[in-house]
Formats: sequence, structure tokens, C-alpha cells
Amino acid sequence: MQEKKEKKEKLGDIAKEFIYGMAAHDMTRYALKTRSSMEHLFILITMGDLLGVPILPPYYSLRLLPYVVPQISTWKRRMLREKDLTDALF
Amino acid sequence: MALVDFFTECPDIRYIMYGGKGGLGKTTFSAATAYYLAKKGFKVLIFSVDPQASLSDIFARKIFGQGEVEIMPNLYACEVDADKRIKAYGDEIRKKIMDMYGFETMPEEIENYMKAASAEPAMEESAIFDAVVDIVTKGGYDYYIYDLVPLGHALYYLSMTSVYDAWINKISALRYEMGKYDKVVATVQSKKETAEDKILEELLYIKERINASSRILTDPKLTAFFFVLTPEEMIILDTAKAAELFAKFNVPIRGFIVNRVIPKKLASENIPQYLRNRIQMQEGLLARIDSQFGSKVMGCVPELDRDVRGLEMIEKMAKEMFGKR
Repeated sequence: MQEKKEKKEKLGDIAKEFIYGMAAHDMTRYALKTRSSMEHLFILITMGDLLGVPILPPYYSLRLLPYVVPQISTWKRRMLREKDLTDALF
Repeated sequence: MALVDFFTECPDIRYIMYGGKGGLGKTTFSAATAYYLAKKGFKVLIFSVDPQASLSDIFARKIFGQGEVEIMPNLYACEVDADKRIKAYGDEIRKKIMDMYGFETMPEEIENYMKAASAEPAMEESAIFDAVVDIVTKGGYDYYIYDLVPLGHALYYLSMTSVYDAWINKISALRYEMGKYDKVVATVQSKKETAEDKILEELLYIKERINASSRILTDPKLTAFFFVLTPEEMIILDTAKAAELFAKFNVPIRGFIVNRVIPKKLASENIPQYLRNRIQMQEGLLARIDSQFGSKVMGCVPELDRDVRGLEMIEKMAKEMFGKR
């Protein structure tokens, strides 16, 4: 009985993930992509000095620095890399 | 309106600023006003953020970087040491980063960034800005007298408020927008709660500080800005120009005070031609100041026989400014 229930639940999960993959995954991916672009834009307008873009009140942007430390290297790579055809594809 | 009536007629005023070209007597007037109000029983803080501040000089005491120093009962003076403040602040941020991520030392890239940012002139300006926000929002005094830096710089400082205002409003809006995307993702993936956005929290804190300061400095009920000028042609021209510019940034200009007027009664005495010519020149220019600024001229203060330094001379100056009451 217990086993049966577990199996049922597992089946339900698989179905749920399948439907999610078909219907919503793309949406999520798109939302996350937009979100990450915004994140990079945000870091640019607060931490732009890192790339040589002067930022207005450095005293205040320094307050935000601790929260973006992990993102800084990916952000720099993205901001400074050259763009090519694959950018349009992904 | 004479300066002496101003404070009784506008009891809500809490922030007082004297502005003008360098060396015309801003610090002297600030100190004398502080003295006058303190003697009347109000608790007064006179403060300066200029790295070459002159409060230490006028009160003949070491004030720079010492916090709020009591000069006499009810009168406190404060000169902010911006460099010290930036250093302490940088250390605080470093500690936060190392605590948050369990680093033993700072990552080189971040450390370099912090060093570069701290060396920028804009850093000092924004640090000073924040120091002033601290002072004016903390409370505890009846009057705050802001010993400003010379004209151009003061204008820059005052306009900074509106620029920062725009900056912070824009980025908090962007951050808020980003939060919406987080929510969309969370809903679609049927997760319960999105993680709290610490950055948005910080932004709202910064925003509150910047907005508070711009609210205060442009509120004509709370803040009074006085121009200091002397009867000299160039100074009158520059002051008129500056007044126009300041008005554009919503600085509540309440009046003009003329300093260094040579006492007219000297003319009846036996004085050298040199002095007589100066008096005559000043008379003409005073008439011009009257026609140009009219009812906004709140007083003429004579040239004293000695430099204003130390409480005794400040008292004398206060008597000249506010009448002998």
C-alpha cells in the first residue's frame, strides 16, 4: 500500500516536471535571462568604476559592494567580452 | 526684515546657511549667529565639512575631527574629518565582505576597486554629503548652522542633492523591477517565497537618507539661506549671478547681508583722503545693492577694528548683526 502510494507520487512528480518542461520552462528561462541582464545593468550603474565608468556617489555604491562580490567576475566577463553570432542564438 | 526679527518671526527655521564668495565673512556670520542664538537659550550646532574648515580658527580651539565640541553653554561646534570617515567606512565594508563570504583576505580585484573608489574626489564629496545627512537627521539641537564652502562649491553641493535623488530613485526602480522577475520565476517553478533582496533594502535605506536631506535643504519653512556680500563691484555682480543659480536649485534664499561697511560717521572726522574715497565708493555701491536686492537686504555690518577671532570678538560681531539687545 505504502509502496503504491510512493509510486503514484513519483509518477505525479514526473508528470508535473514534464508539463513544466513543455509549458513553462521556456518562460522561466526567458525570465531568468532578462533578470540576469538587469542584474548586469544594475551592477554597471552602481559599480561602473570597476570598468572605468565613473559612478556618481561612490560612498553609497560602496554600501552595495558586499552583495555583488560573487557576481563581479561573471559581470566583468560579460561586459568586456566581444559579441558574436551566438549571442543572438542563446 | 532685519536679521534680528527673522528668528522671532520664523520660529520654525532650524537650518541656517550663509553662502558667498571666499573670505567675505561666512564663517564669521555663522559663528556670530550661533553665539546669538545660544545666548538666547537655544541649543545650537555649528558645523563645517570643509577640509580647510575655519571653525577651529574662529573659535581658537581645536575642533577638527573631534566630534561635537562644546564651545560654551548651548553652543557646539563640529568639523567633519572626511578622510577619517572614508577610511572607517571602507574598513566597515571590508569587514562585511570578509564576514559574508568567509574570506581570510580581501579578493584582489575588490580591494583594488575599493582603493580606487576611495581615492576619487567624488568619494570625498559623497562622504561629506552623508556626514551632513547624519548631522541634520540625528536631531538634538534647536538650530543647525551650516558653515558652507565658497559659492561654486556650495552650489555643487546643493545641486548634488537633486542629482543623487534622481540616481537613487532610478536604481531603486530598476531593482524593484528585477524583484518582479524573481517572483515570476518562483511562481512558475511553484517555489514558495523568493529570497529577500538585501540590495533593495540597502537601496531603500540610501534613498531615505538622500531624500531626507534634499527635503530639509529645500524646505523654506525649515531652512534659511543668506548671502554674504561686501560693497564691491565684482562681488555684487557675482552674488547676483549666484542668487539666480541657487534659486534654480530651490535653495530657499531668505536674504542678503552686507559685510565690511566702513562706518559712515568716520567721514565727519579728520581722516585721510584714501579712506574718504573708500567711503564714497561704498556709498555708491550700497545704493546699488539696495536697488538690486531691495527688501531682501537684511542688514549692513560694519568693518570691525580687529579680526573676528575668539568668543569676545564673536560677541561683538553678534551685537553688530543683531542689534545691541
